Amino acid sequence: MATVNGAPANDAVSSGAAVIDLKNVSIGYGADAPPVLVDVDLTVERGSFVAIVGPSGVGKSTLLRVVAGLHEARTGGVTIHQDPRPAHRPVGLVFQDARLLPWRRVVKNVQLGLEGLPVSRAERLRRAEEALKLVRLDGYARRWPYELSGGQRQRVGIARAMAVDPDILLMDEPFGALDAITRNNLQDELRRIHRETGKTILFVTHDLEEAVHLADRIIVLGGTPARVVRDVSNSAGRDGAVFREQVEQLRLEIADNYSI
Amino acid sequence: MKTRTSLALSALGVVAFLLLWEAVAQSGIVPARLIPSPSAVPAAFLSEFRSGTWQAMVLASLSHYLVGLSLGAFLGVSFGTAAALWGRWDAFQAWVVRMLRPIPAIAWIPFAIIWFGVSEGAASFLIALTVFWINYYASYAAVRGVDKDLIELGHAFGQGGLVPRLFKIVLPGALPGILSGLRAGLGQGWMTVVAAELFGISGLGMRMMEASGLLATHIVVLYMVTIALLYGVSDFLFMQVQSRVLSWQR
Repeated sequence: MATVNGAPANDAVSSGAAVIDLKNVSIGYGADAPPVLVDVDLTVERGSFVAIVGPSGVGKSTLLRVVAGLHEARTGGVTIHQDPRPAHRPVGLVFQDARLLPWRRVVKNVQLGLEGLPVSRAERLRRAEEALKLVRLDGYARRWPYELSGGQRQRVGIARAMAVDPDILLMDEPFGALDAITRNNLQDELRRIHRETGKTILFVTHDLEEAVHLADRIIVLGGTPARVVRDVSNSAGRDGAVFREQVEQLRLEIADNYSI
Repeated sequence: MKTRTSLALSALGVVAFLLLWEAVAQSGIVPARLIPSPSAVPAAFLSEFRSGTWQAMVLASLSHYLVGLSLGAFLGVSFGTAAALWGRWDAFQAWVVRMLRPIPAIAWIPFAIIWFGVSEGAASFLIALTVFWINYYASYAAVRGVDKDLIELGHAFGQGGLVPRLFKIVLPGALPGILSGLRAGLGQGWMTVVAAELFGISGLGMRMMEASGLLATHIVVLYMVTIALLYGVSDFLFMQVQSRVLSWQR
């Protein structure tokens, strides 16, 4: 940790040290196609909950994959804790479709990410059970994925990401396919998990209300090619006039830049 | 439908089939020499069993079958999986496969005899060949069909290297398809057993050939029934294993 005049710079934690740093990142598919997303400069601080919103096709999910090291940016640099290497990033990924391995029981699904780590069998089991407890699915360890509801499957997906104890949780429209009630429940659960664990969360969604409800910072992507058109801090909460105003504001913002 | 109902119906079907057959044979519409009656089969079984011929033939065929089946299945799954995984290898072997594939196993009989003699090895080779192609194509399609999202999941959770990807994602994901290939091979394998033995390799097929030469059609039927039973048992056992292995499916 950096020190100033011998005193510990403790504000590095409170005001948040940069965990994710994107510099001039552009993203495209295929070598000859024009880029879909350009000029992304983004610094995400430790412990923050950042939502990325924008119409479909702007490259939100791909941006998340670039941060995860699964997709290569066309230009620019990505560092996690100042480390640019794409392998072994301390991230946990949660997909929209839960994406459980159907041939593994719940507890073995949660252990997937631990199997590449130097962790004993007993320790793997302990951490998987702990992660299941975090998402309130203790008691479901021996179930097969097909026996679970959509919401439960998504909880297992979150547990699997949390089991590796990542610094960053990357979530790709994780509640997009759920019914409204389940979605609300899981949103509240995610707020709680964020509060309890202090993980940095990067959350992609096309649902503005979800973004305003969950995140403390909202990045809006738009235009062709897309770029960051707005970067707002948010504390509008869940209901009330402030919430609706914030959502409306963002909606206009996106409509202005909607040209796809 | 309940399991008991479906079992009872299957049994009823077999009994009806046998009764019809017996009726046709007894009625004299067709000469007895052409269609032996099924009631002649138990006596034929007893005489073949007492002389020890039946057991010897079953054991001989079973050993050709098991050697050929395991060799063909192992190689078929391996080559099919490899071709599905690596595009370059796939392209390299694609036309060789297209040239060899349409040649039926029995067309290889001359070479099997030249290479292995009239021996156990020749029969196993022909069975392996049949089983190989079935498993090759089944595994190829099954591995190709593995959800790409699951492969990405593997990469995201540190299981992207060849070995973990293969054993934790690709093969489990392809398993239902690979198993149906194995099952199809199980049946085709028995058909090839008979074809391979017809030219004199000791086993069920050879015994059928001998009996038909003597117009002992009831013995031919006995061995036909034997093959049917052996196939039925192997298929049944396979299904038991399969339903256990795939218990994660709905």
